[in-house]
Amino acid sequence: MTAPPTQPIPLPRKPAASTASLLIVPSLIGALVALALGIYGRVHSPTGIAINIAGFSSPGTVKSWLATGATVFAIVQVGSALVMYGKVPRVTAPEWIGGLHRWSGRIAFLLAVPVAIHCLYALGFQQYSTRVLIHSVVGCLFFGAFTVKMLILPKRGLPGWVLPVVGAVVFTLLVVIWLTSAYWFFSTFGIKR
Amino acid sequence: MKRNTPLITLLVGAALGVVLLVASMLTTPSSALPNYSAAAASSAAPASSAAPAESSEAPEPAESSVAASAPAAAPSPAPTRTTPTADFTGRVGGGGGSVAVAVHGDKAIAYVCNGSTVEGWMRGKVEGDKLVLTGKNQTHLTASYHAGKVTGDVEAHGTDYSFSVPTVSKSSSKSSGLYQATAVVQGKTIKAGWIVLGDGTQVGSVEIGESGEKAVTAPKLDVATMTARIGNVVLHAVPVSGVTGSGF
Repeated sequence: MTAPPTQPIPLPRKPAASTASLLIVPSLIGALVALALGIYGRVHSPTGIAINIAGFSSPGTVKSWLATGATVFAIVQVGSALVMYGKVPRVTAPEWIGGLHRWSGRIAFLLAVPVAIHCLYALGFQQYSTRVLIHSVVGCLFFGAFTVKMLILPKRGLPGWVLPVVGAVVFTLLVVIWLTSAYWFFSTFGIKR
Repeated sequence: MKRNTPLITLLVGAALGVVLLVASMLTTPSSALPNYSAAAASSAAPASSAAPAESSEAPEPAESSVAASAPAAAPSPAPTRTTPTADFTGRVGGGGGSVAVAVHGDKAIAYVCNGSTVEGWMRGKVEGDKLVLTGKNQTHLTASYHAGKVTGDVEAHGTDYSFSVPTVSKSSSKSSGLYQATAVVQGKTIKAGWIVLGDGTQVGSVEIGESGEKAVTAPKLDVATMTARIGNVVLHAVPVSGVTGSGF
């Protein structure tokens, strides 16, 4: 997760770059982020414990609620993006919709980070069941995809479809993560704090 | 300035991740207990210096006369009626550890272990399909068991786990199950426990001293020979099984 600092250099050099060349550096960085998380999760020996948040009965419940929070804010993301792009009939985008989109995204991301750190540090990349394998793979991919999304946001000259497609990928990955973790947890053990 | 906000988001997230990771690393070796709020009864004085001292002491070579003693399985009078017997093993919810439950007639033994400092042995009675098991240091387990599955909650060292684990399938892995070994090393009684899952993965911890308060990661159990080594002491593990009655 410490890779990004070198990336803004290509920005001013090519003002009229092609779509591919605009996307290649962010995509490579995103791929490296996903790969780094996966390798760390695989190589690092899981400790079983990590710091925990007070007020919850176990790490599982903390993570499930944080992940659920992130997913709710991610749904706000999709809704506000649809409004911004004028895809919701009879709704004109209010001027605060951009702020809503940015802040819901930031909150969702910051809620997801502690969950991911606990996963990586305490549990690691695991493959003992289909659910766990999917969760491990998609969990790594999510942060890679999110990195790509953040890096291409400020780029000018991208075709209009790029941001919605990348945004949709990020959202889909997050929902898969949630289904294979928090949804599983709550449906197995009941909804509890 | 405006153009960089997504990058700032990314870097803030990365920084948060690094801080949490470092905090986790600082928490892990010093104390068994992260900051669990309500459940941790004895959180007043975290024994941060005592725990590592113990863990570094345990693996030291000890005198070779030490005998690993398997607990004598008391020959119980064979019950004439058919009693429920079953063994369950699996990961706890969240995957941070494993739990094993052995049911033998109206008695049950359970072990929960995260492969490190959080672990505990419990014993108790079976009432209908309910299990209420207790152990040292307020370790306790409540569960209900059904055909092929036991579901409940267990708390050890202030850490609460939920679990729903299946019966041990002897077809998938012969060695899957719960194992224990006790020995006296340098005048201290130690009790090791291992949970071996159907896929062959295992977790194990060693309790040091009678109180069971301190535990360290157990050496790997060689399931072929049922032995593990601490320094030059060989631990001989015995299964704890409700099906065979071993360990009850």
